Amino acid sequence: MANLKVTSVTKQFGETPVLKGITLDIADGEFVSLVGPSGCGKSTLLRIIAGLEAPTGGTVAIGDMDVTGMQAADRNLSMVFQSYALYPHLSVAENIAVPLRMREVTGLQRLPVIGGLMPGARGQKQSIATSVARAADRLEIGGLLNRKPGQLSGGQRQRVALGRALVRDPAAFLLDEPLSNLDAKLRVQTRAEIAELHRALNATFIYVTHDQVEAMTMSDRIAVMMGGEILQCAAPEIIYEDPDDIRVAEFIGSPKINILPLERYGSDLSLFGRSLDWHVTQDSPQVMQLGLRPEALHLTQSAPRLRGRVAHFENLGSEVFAQIALEDDAMRVTLRATPAERQMLGLGAEVGLAFDTRSAMAFDADGKRLRKIEAMAGVTSEVA
Amino acid sequence: MAVSDAVAALPAKPENRQARTAWGLTAPALALMVSILLVPVIVAGILSFTNYSLGNPGFDWIGTQNYERLFTRSTYEKMFIATFTYVVTVVPISVGLGLGAALLVHSLGRIGDIYKTIYFLPVMATLLAMAIAWEFMLHPTIGMVNRTLAMACGTWFEVIPFFANGCAEGFPLWLGDRDYAIWVVCFIGIWQGFGFNMVLYLAGLTSVHRELYHAAEMDGAKSGWEKFWLVTWPALGPTTVFVVTISCIRAFQVFDTIEAFWPQGGGPNKSAYVMMFAIFEKGVQQNLIGIGSAITMLFLVFVMFLTLIQRWLVERKVHYG
Repeated sequence: MANLKVTSVTKQFGETPVLKGITLDIADGEFVSLVGPSGCGKSTLLRIIAGLEAPTGGTVAIGDMDVTGMQAADRNLSMVFQSYALYPHLSVAENIAVPLRMREVTGLQRLPVIGGLMPGARGQKQSIATSVARAADRLEIGGLLNRKPGQLSGGQRQRVALGRALVRDPAAFLLDEPLSNLDAKLRVQTRAEIAELHRALNATFIYVTHDQVEAMTMSDRIAVMMGGEILQCAAPEIIYEDPDDIRVAEFIGSPKINILPLERYGSDLSLFGRSLDWHVTQDSPQVMQLGLRPEALHLTQSAPRLRGRVAHFENLGSEVFAQIALEDDAMRVTLRATPAERQMLGLGAEVGLAFDTRSAMAFDADGKRLRKIEAMAGVTSEVA
Repeated sequence: MAVSDAVAALPAKPENRQARTAWGLTAPALALMVSILLVPVIVAGILSFTNYSLGNPGFDWIGTQNYERLFTRSTYEKMFIATFTYVVTVVPISVGLGLGAALLVHSLGRIGDIYKTIYFLPVMATLLAMAIAWEFMLHPTIGMVNRTLAMACGTWFEVIPFFANGCAEGFPLWLGDRDYAIWVVCFIGIWQGFGFNMVLYLAGLTSVHRELYHAAEMDGAKSGWEKFWLVTWPALGPTTVFVVTISCIRAFQVFDTIEAFWPQGGGPNKSAYVMMFAIFEKGVQQNLIGIGSAITMLFLVFVMFLTLIQRWLVERKVHYG
């Protein structure tokens, strides 16, 4: 177990920059997710940490030791691959035993016949078998030990890959989209199991995924990556409730956050030409963007801030998502409503929407968060 | 009455009709297979117990006399020695070289294509024409090989006994020397064959999952050697079985080099008298169909035996998938 430090790591493939100076500190025992759309460089970053790829610049340190120039095999890390990468010719038990055999058994002892005659071979074999059995029990694959990977289902293969990672005691576990080849139901189940495994092992986990739900549910911290940069690295609730950047706000959360144009006339902010009664200083930007989570919006009859027609509606049982076309279809917002409000949301029905000022987020035209503006607007509206 | 008969007969009919149609549809292929593949083997098997010659009105049954000759006469002993020397030398070396070349070429980028083409050239060339070129090069006095070797005379190379002898008494006659003849044929067989094995191995290598190498690295495989044994070699199992079988069959079938070098009799003192050449000499040149068939049957047995070993290996040791 160890902490992990990535310092201004850059990576270029030919002329194309893939990572533009990534700095990331991961504490001992922490579960950090690298999340972002495909092509954002998250897998490349993980492979640089693993040592499978050399960075163009910057350093990687594990447990305060610089490992940038070190071979992957010497870094004492375990990795679970998206394709599981199990050795097809070895049985489940042999697959799980490989990391121990490669590290603890000498080349001479690995030889087929002579190896068995080497001093200490039997004891070593026994200790490896015990470790394999322990890992298999932990993942409940004890009954599969003699099978070949080709005879296993996707979920079982995934467990074997996990078993191979945790059979020894690595400095950190690296997981590269381990759930993306599983069906939806199994993914939810395995998600919980990996989170539990993390708590039980109390080890450092770095988890790469493009699925924000996985990142939100499992991690201590989420690093949202886009275009080769980390936009924000914080706890899941902060990433969701208090994003620094509009891209983070848009990437995290399903359905997506609603973004509306916000304009300033004098010291007054307005939405679609209607004043919001939010007062800001004159030096604030002219054009801004307002971010509203679907749950921040609610239906109202009196003095609605937004008006529109129900354009589409999805009933999920416990909650209802309605798409409201605002201002003659110029823009659509998604609203989360309770099942009780369903009858108000018939297709084409005219509805009024309101939102709580404190849950609204303001961004500038480039997408940077404007916390100062929010503070000013929040104060004035409470007074009003 | 007629109606009830038809009704009663109906339920059994579809299956029968289907079976008949199936056999009818299979018949042409079956007939072809039997007549062009199985019948010749059976005819050869029958003829191997006779003294038949082409053009003779009839033949006599001579029992196992042909086979007895095969296992008692010294000519055939030489035939077995030459054939097995060739197979045992050429197969492992051409497979090993093919694998080595494939690994090296595979690790290269674009230059790999050039190497691929160069190594594959001998496979594409006509062996008969190549044999004539080799014959010139190996000519004892005016050949390129011996002239090149002679350049070493007078230098420190003479420390090596081979050069010392060569410079004193002349370099080997190669194709005319019964100690060297079969080895020259082996060398040409390897030179000609390993490019083909390389291409087969290259095809096998492309199917090795790249992520497995990364997994091996994470699991602690430090050297290329460890990665080779953990990932590459097992993944190439099916290819290896195929390559070895094909190489064995090709080695048993060696003929054109021998025919080009020694059209009159299979090398000095019959030291390169391989099975295929024996079949050709007895069955075609001397019109002794009986003994020719007997050698053919023996040849078939060897090839069959190899195929069975291959099947056993595939089922037991090799992992597919």
